[in-house]
Amino acid sequence: MSPQAKSARRAQLEAAALYPLEWLEERSGLVGGVKYFLFRKVPRDTGWFHTLGSATLTAFLVQAITGVILAMYYKPDPNSAYESIQHITNDLTLGWLVRGMHRWGASVFIILMFFHMARVFLFGAYKYPRELNWIIGVLLLAMGMLEGFTGYLLPWDQTAYWATVVGINLNGTAPIIGPFLAQFLAGGTEIGADTLSKFYALHMLAIPGAIFALIGLHLYLVIRLGVTSPPWSPDAAGRERPEAAAPTNGREGLVRPGRRGGSE
Amino acid sequence: MSDQGPHLPAPSLWPIGFAAGIACILIGLVISVLVAVVGFGIALVFGFLWLRDVTRPVRTPAPEVEPESRPSRATEATAPAEGDAMPVMSEEEIATYPRSTFISIATLGLGGVIGGIITVPVLGFAVLPSFTNQHEPNVELGPIEDFPEGDFVIATFLEDPKIGEVSRRTMFIRNNGQLEGQPSFTVLYSRCAHLGCPVQPNGPVFDDEKKTIGDHVELTPTKPAGFGCPCHGGQYDTEGNRTAGPPVRALDRAEFSIRNGKLVIGSFYSVAKVEGTGERARIQKYGRMPPGVHVDGPEAWLYPLEVPR
Amino acid sequence: MASRRIIERRAQHKRYKEDVDRNGKPFFPHAMFHDTVMSLVVVSVIVGLTCVWYFTAEGSEDAGLLGPYYTEEADPGTTNFVPRPDWYFYFLFYLLRVFKWPDTVVLGTVGVPNILLGILIALPFIDVRRERRLSRRPVALVSAIIVVLAMGTLTYKGATAKESLGSETLAAVPDWSQREGFAANQEAVAGAKLFAVAGCLQCHTYLGTGSSNLGAPDLSDIGATNKGVDYFQRYVANPAEFGNTAMPPFASLGEENLHQIAVFLDASKGPKG
Repeated sequence: MSPQAKSARRAQLEAAALYPLEWLEERSGLVGGVKYFLFRKVPRDTGWFHTLGSATLTAFLVQAITGVILAMYYKPDPNSAYESIQHITNDLTLGWLVRGMHRWGASVFIILMFFHMARVFLFGAYKYPRELNWIIGVLLLAMGMLEGFTGYLLPWDQTAYWATVVGINLNGTAPIIGPFLAQFLAGGTEIGADTLSKFYALHMLAIPGAIFALIGLHLYLVIRLGVTSPPWSPDAAGRERPEAAAPTNGREGLVRPGRRGGSE
Repeated sequence: MSDQGPHLPAPSLWPIGFAAGIACILIGLVISVLVAVVGFGIALVFGFLWLRDVTRPVRTPAPEVEPESRPSRATEATAPAEGDAMPVMSEEEIATYPRSTFISIATLGLGGVIGGIITVPVLGFAVLPSFTNQHEPNVELGPIEDFPEGDFVIATFLEDPKIGEVSRRTMFIRNNGQLEGQPSFTVLYSRCAHLGCPVQPNGPVFDDEKKTIGDHVELTPTKPAGFGCPCHGGQYDTEGNRTAGPPVRALDRAEFSIRNGKLVIGSFYSVAKVEGTGERARIQKYGRMPPGVHVDGPEAWLYPLEVPR
Repeated sequence: MASRRIIERRAQHKRYKEDVDRNGKPFFPHAMFHDTVMSLVVVSVIVGLTCVWYFTAEGSEDAGLLGPYYTEEADPGTTNFVPRPDWYFYFLFYLLRVFKWPDTVVLGTVGVPNILLGILIALPFIDVRRERRLSRRPVALVSAIIVVLAMGTLTYKGATAKESLGSETLAAVPDWSQREGFAANQEAVAGAKLFAVAGCLQCHTYLGTGSSNLGAPDLSDIGATNKGVDYFQRYVANPAEFGNTAMPPFASLGEENLHQIAVFLDASKGPKG
């Protein structure tokens, strides 16, 4: 075959293979979005320190997936919760693996959140214009630790029960609202039959929902505002340049640009 | 205007009603004759109306109707050039209450009402059940004779046997003998007043002399010199008063009564400090508060509101 | 017109965007490769920890390298358990021991943690300088080091905190009688058993068991002071008589029990050999 015919045939094959993506793109624009995310530019000197954020996300996804699977076998009632955990650990095929991944994944998730927070702090990446992202991150940290607290009760063994008693009473010592908060969390004056269901609902639905929403916002802001270079890097993006900057009207560099063709 | 295409009937809802009637007939044939009869009636009525609409041009000539036109009160300068633009309102008209404002407010208001109708009961259900109907049920422990005079027993029982082990509670109970002809008991709760850890009796526990009464009450004799909490080192004396450590008040107590010669435990209450001992103890009752909450002294001002029962 | 600071930081962000546009590398595959490798590491660590946990803990009773499968089923009426939170709460758990006076309890439970959380959230408004290099941010660097050291220490102390459970310390009595050499003395052994369950080890330590609270001394060799059985018996019955107001009186144990404890204390002259 002549080279032109060969490349024409090849172009035809490529077009056929890519057709589903084009179909999707014309009707939704999603493919373009994914391409933007994948091929956007990041500073040249980003390195391993910047992987902590996505590592945290991976740990959370492990938690979400193993959590959903565990929920298929766990029974959130005080009279059968402990047995269902025994059943999962001892009887069900690979139950020990999924339960163990969920339990240790929690620790890994929290450790990674602290490391990620430390990295962001030391890089000064909480400063303008990323202040909102930092606040969302701290909220994610709080939510993550609450996930750990509510999940700790679910096996309903001695450790779980009494750690939760003390945890709820800690909240009870808060001034003015403390006694009400403690009673709300416990579902009564003491931990009772309703406490386990409430903690299960919080652990499965309310807090993960909040975490997913906050992660979505967090990632949107990271993509929009970009990641910072390491501050010690000589080629740090955005560093001061020795040559004098052109006088600005104070609106250039705004995260959200002003009217196009702005005043001057 | 000239009619160029075939004359289509005006849009009408009658066929929908007719179809609903037919559906009712078919369902009624399966479920019940009454439904079928009702469906037949509906189909009849809507079918008649539909037919009347469809045959109208045939029955009567279409009346001539002048196209509606509203004389514009706008001045020359603001009158639009094209004939079919929206009529422009004059200054006076705009100053009076415009329809669009009313609709905006109505939409937001109704939206708020709908939101409220859904959210308020839902939030109420999320929060209120933890606070309503909270009273400890009276639990009958056993005959007074099973409680040796002058000595403590560790009594565990189910507050509500119907819901099972999750309602198990432990109390340190001492039979104080009689005070003016009435039996007197010291009934202490086993959970520390600092943060709720389980408190241990500081003394030998005679597990081999454990007595079971009924199907859920267990009494274990013990000879404590006081009580101690392993969590943070809180110490209490035999009246439940704090003697050392972080506990902010004495151990909680429970009311008791005697029914048919049996000891019955009632509702719990909190205590700051007990004066005196045994049957001569003078106890000031406070409403039951969670551990860690001061009930007297300056810190009690941090907790002004008592959770309602 | 925006202030100079606002103008400068907007200009910096504009420079940042231009630099990235000009010199940046595409996220895929360069940065995403790093992310993928790190995620693989994370998943491997999770699976690894699971396997170590599962295969070293034979059943519910044994604690392997990473703890048992589960402890016994929840017993709300127990008097024989010491609660612990998960390890990432150990720093808060130990904070409760730091604030051990009743009037300061609320500081340790909700005061200090919430103040720190507030500072954390408000950080971008506290530190508004544009400088990101650590060498020019001494306050940030020092406070980061202090926070890491503090939380690390609190977590470690929380992990190693020990309390005494009457049932557990009772099992140590034969070991004590061997090491201290009073196994032949029936009264001393009985006294040792009482000592183990009467709550003494909640404040005192003895041959490595117990916890040290409120300044209570270690009693492993208290007998070597040669104060005599009578002295110990009266002291334990009413420490206030000897000027000790931190220790509660144990008179209600009864004279016979007090005598046995006193014999035990007198026989505790320090581990032999």
